[in-house]
Amino acid sequence: MIKPHRYCALGAEISSDLVLPELTVSESTSNALVQIQQGDHRQWPSLEPSPHSTPILQLAPQDWRLELEGIGWFRATGGERLEWQRWDDSVSDRDIRTFAVTSGLGALAIQRGALVLHGTALEREGEAILLLGHPAAGKSTLAWCLLQEGWHLLSSELVAVGSDGIVQPGMHQLKLWYDAAVTLELDYAQLPTVRKGLKRYALLTEELTCMPQPTPLRLIYALNRAKEKSGKEDDTEAEDEKEKISLKTSRNFSQTTALMRLRNQAFHARMYRGMDAEAQLFMQAAALARTVPLHALIVPDGIKAMAESLKKVDLMQPESMQQRKESKEEDASND
Amino acid sequence: MTDDHSYWYLASYPKSGNTWCRVFITELMRLAGDNPGEELNLNQDIETGAIASSRLWLDDQLGINSCDLSFSELDPMRGRAGASAWLFAEGERFHKVHDAFKSPDSRGRPVVSTTGCSGVVYILRHPEDVAVSLSHFFSWPLDRCVDSLLDPSAALVSGERFGGHQVRQYMGRWDQHVRSWADQTQLPVLIMRYEDMLSKGSEIFTELATFLGLPTDSKLIDQALENTSIDRLKKLEDNVDGFAEKPAGCERFFRSGRTGEGAEQLSIKQRKRLANGLSEAMNRFQYEGPGLD
Repeated sequence: MIKPHRYCALGAEISSDLVLPELTVSESTSNALVQIQQGDHRQWPSLEPSPHSTPILQLAPQDWRLELEGIGWFRATGGERLEWQRWDDSVSDRDIRTFAVTSGLGALAIQRGALVLHGTALEREGEAILLLGHPAAGKSTLAWCLLQEGWHLLSSELVAVGSDGIVQPGMHQLKLWYDAAVTLELDYAQLPTVRKGLKRYALLTEELTCMPQPTPLRLIYALNRAKEKSGKEDDTEAEDEKEKISLKTSRNFSQTTALMRLRNQAFHARMYRGMDAEAQLFMQAAALARTVPLHALIVPDGIKAMAESLKKVDLMQPESMQQRKESKEEDASND
Repeated sequence: MTDDHSYWYLASYPKSGNTWCRVFITELMRLAGDNPGEELNLNQDIETGAIASSRLWLDDQLGINSCDLSFSELDPMRGRAGASAWLFAEGERFHKVHDAFKSPDSRGRPVVSTTGCSGVVYILRHPEDVAVSLSHFFSWPLDRCVDSLLDPSAALVSGERFGGHQVRQYMGRWDQHVRSWADQTQLPVLIMRYEDMLSKGSEIFTELATFLGLPTDSKLIDQALENTSIDRLKKLEDNVDGFAEKPAGCERFFRSGRTGEGAEQLSIKQRKRLANGLSEAMNRFQYEGPGLD
């Protein structure tokens, strides 16, 4: 029997029959809390119908199933076990782990009682920031730019925050689209694609500086892309031009607004609802909203402008980036 | 939640009157409500339902990041993404769709969920006028718009090199798009021509309200039509300092709404190309071209 691989991610020791280069290797010899292993979906007991389930995503308390046609079946149960099965022999390990280490581990972490959010967390000088945003919001591109400025990656795509406000290391991988990779002058031809045929590239630990230690969360930013002005406005003032290429933050959101933003950024609200964990989400989001400030971060449109703007600011100092017109706070919260 | 979980699609090729239709529905419901106070706010009130291609909605239904799927994996899944009566929030029951009913990647399946769906309103407009409207919306030259209407692989958000808030929406040629919805048999369909919505508003919008199970009181219909005339919509767009659905670079979303602009602005050559390529569907829906040699 092949010895399983050991990892530590989202606050759990993991034993896996799949190689998972996205996760931090663990040297621990203690029993793993989470097992990832191949299973047979035909052996899985059927679930009670749930209003939260879809044909692709089946949910029950402490039970999460995903059926991706042409890729495979996945099941997370009891916060301890993640099973996977290929659709057929053409499906690669990379295909399986793409969904196992994101949605699968996220489901397990929710079952284990963690607050799991759509976001990317980075560390600098022992403190963490969390960038919240839905897929395609620009989190990974911004994170890559921050790594060039001395930050370390704690987790991308999904972030688990403990009740003590500690961010657990998770996915040590950034996925960049072709256009972003080219603009950032990465040698994309040398990078593996996220999955075969996709023009989306995976940057793994060897290309990244990662943080393997849990880190206290200092600030949360909700990403907003600056919208281009319509043609009818006269933007000739130099100050306005400067504003368009600057990174800006809003004032600290009220606790109520912060709570709503955190709930909206839950790692798949449907999964929380379907696994009967919505009350848990609410309590944890409320606790986080009380203890960690949340600002909107308005990012210049365009990757070059974003990268340039980062050189001029310190994300640990949101006040230094605050907008001149405070009235824009409400705009910024209008996601 | 109420017991009414029914939902509809408002399907169209882009720039064919879909938004006007959504605004009308919203206004009709507002006027029929208990407290039809102030006038409509375009950026707050016309949340009739998510666009069926919304990545956020799809990701929520699928429980994954859909950016990790290829088009040929995603399109067959889209129709199964939300096949439950609970998939849409209360009050958000009218969903805009610009996709063709099926895509070359969808393995013969619809790209939208049909389970629990009450029907589809398909809105079509003279392809010459669509070309002119596309030109203003996307800031494209007219030739490119004509090419797009004749392109069997035409799609919105078709790039494979970046993510986006919406997934790729395959449309195909204009006539393929029309036929895909008009001839499908899985959903009841009401076909409305934009030109008739303009020229026979009361009659056509009463048919729409009847089809959707909305109030059909003629006074309400006429008032909603008056409140959503192109001049009123232009004013409402000014009120909100730019409609949220307007792309960057496009001066205004609600521009002219007229029919016949294509015949005025396209060259004879461009009009003949459209008429040659789309003749069958144009004839079927009584759209005249320039007269072919």
